[in-house]
Amino acid sequence: MRVGIAGAGLLGRLLACKLAAEGVQVDLFDPAAGPAARGAAGWTAAGMLSPVAELESADETVFALGMRSLALWPQLLATLDQPVTMQQRGSLLLAHRGDEGAARRVVDLLMLKAAAEYAPQPLTAAALNELEPALHGAPYAWLLPQEGQIDTVQAMTAMTESATRRGVRWHWQTPVSLLSASCLQTQSQTHHFDHVFDVRGTGAGDQTGAHGKRVRGVRGEIFWLHAPGVRLQRPLRLLHPRHRVYLVPREGDLIVVGASEIESEDRSPVSLRSTVELLAAAHSVLPELAEARLVHSETNLRPALPDNLPRIEQSDGLTRINGLFRHGWLIAPALVEDALRGLWHGSTTNPLLNSEFRDVPR
Amino acid sequence: MAFHIAGIELDSRFFLGTAQYPSPEVLQLAIKASGAQVVTVGLKRQLAQGDGTGSAANDFYSIIRDTGVRLLPNTAGCRAAREAVTLAHMARELFDTPWIKLEVVGDEYTLQPDPFELVKAATELVRAGFEVFPYCTDDLVTCQRLLDAGCRILMPWGAPIGSGQGLLNPHALRTLRARLPGVPLIIDAGIGSPRDAVQAMELGFDAVLLNSAVAQAHAPVQMAHAFKLGIEAGRLAFEAGIMAQQAMAVPTTPVTGRPFVL
Repeated sequence: MRVGIAGAGLLGRLLACKLAAEGVQVDLFDPAAGPAARGAAGWTAAGMLSPVAELESADETVFALGMRSLALWPQLLATLDQPVTMQQRGSLLLAHRGDEGAARRVVDLLMLKAAAEYAPQPLTAAALNELEPALHGAPYAWLLPQEGQIDTVQAMTAMTESATRRGVRWHWQTPVSLLSASCLQTQSQTHHFDHVFDVRGTGAGDQTGAHGKRVRGVRGEIFWLHAPGVRLQRPLRLLHPRHRVYLVPREGDLIVVGASEIESEDRSPVSLRSTVELLAAAHSVLPELAEARLVHSETNLRPALPDNLPRIEQSDGLTRINGLFRHGWLIAPALVEDALRGLWHGSTTNPLLNSEFRDVPR
Repeated sequence: MAFHIAGIELDSRFFLGTAQYPSPEVLQLAIKASGAQVVTVGLKRQLAQGDGTGSAANDFYSIIRDTGVRLLPNTAGCRAAREAVTLAHMARELFDTPWIKLEVVGDEYTLQPDPFELVKAATELVRAGFEVFPYCTDDLVTCQRLLDAGCRILMPWGAPIGSGQGLLNPHALRTLRARLPGVPLIIDAGIGSPRDAVQAMELGFDAVLLNSAVAQAHAPVQMAHAFKLGIEAGRLAFEAGIMAQQAMAVPTTPVTGRPFVL
């Protein structure tokens, strides 16, 4: 079997790994300059695996995909040739004194949407101090024990290596202009395959499938702080009245701070406003960050459909997956599993992902 | 129920903000459920482009436009008159409308309007042909200065933006209504529950603008509908004439002559 994949982001690489492992000949096309060029949103993401916290804006579909993916990631990573750091020590929600109202808006919503066993667990100051001694200044805290994180840069690199070793052929600097069943067109030629995957994210532009909904980019900005000696064991989110800020520890004494969410397709460098807001908020809960060094900042676009929910569309010879928005690492393994099940067993569009929008999660 | 704002006839007295919804699709549904004919859109962060050229706006605005509503661009995030004026000109070009909701923030914590910069920006924009909807405090003199500057509509706050505290100073709002008859007054900011919107309408305000109370409700679409009903009820009550309160009970049916009633 021969498969063509348009888009070498998180989904493209994951699909390539899985398919190549099954003995499929895979050709992967992407406009990026090379395997380490960071055009895909997956590179930029902090890699929080937070099915519960994401219920603030996502729905139960994303939650279910997220829970399945949490179980799938360790199996997937075990098949790769390079180690990838993933951990599941839970995540924290924090709020400052005076911001109780802002915190309650989020926590109440999570309580309403999540089943009791997943509900945020309030922590006493002593319990918080035991979990994260470095935290100061935010007396309200909740633990989401099931949540975790993955090192996205390690994972992107490791997937590339393993896919290459399994014989995947990469076509860099090769944008796909048109896709149809079993057929994929680049600028210079038309390629024929048994099946074609469209996982271009924002790169899909107008061609997002039969549902006629356009994908749009939603700008996000993040920062890498080098902070030797600052110990943070697990991801945390600050429930602030104005900003959504998260801090994610990463190997190499790094702490990733994110992320803005702006309805714009501007890829230019991070703004002063986002820098001031996000980093001041991060410093307010982790005072030791004052002497951290700002070693990297990055902007990227999250691919979103109008309902901000993911979508799989499958027909003979063609599968389109898009709209992963801010949930790529959270849900990709389950989405890929569903798509491949459809491919092997011939079932059509995944009913789970075509459900019409429901306003009230009950 | 029809009324006029800036020479345009509107049926709905509900103006809706478009930020913070779970998704553009939820926003679309909320706009429909609200019956709003005018929605405000933020620009400052959305239009900012690193190299200072043009606009990087994504599909968000066209999703809103698909609902058929009139857009009221705002200058949220501006802190100086000059900044707001520049943004207003960009908005006019981009959305092809002279309407501008003028916001010039004077204090970062309360996000309350800076009356001095506001009057300055309003003067300039009116001169440039804009229909200025100034977001102001409930201070009578500031409101009068804005009218002097040529504004034909005022948008006094109920409480700080996003706080959901309702109408914190009904006395000041009553004064505004009494002293500025004939000026369209739209309560903007601070509304938390439909109760607050009913109160604003009962006070005789012409319309209500809100965002967070709908966007951050657990079910935004349902809440948009709740506010629609509240705003309609409040307006009908105002027009119907609310009876004055009194201390003594008055039976609605005569009791004289009935046995066992003392």
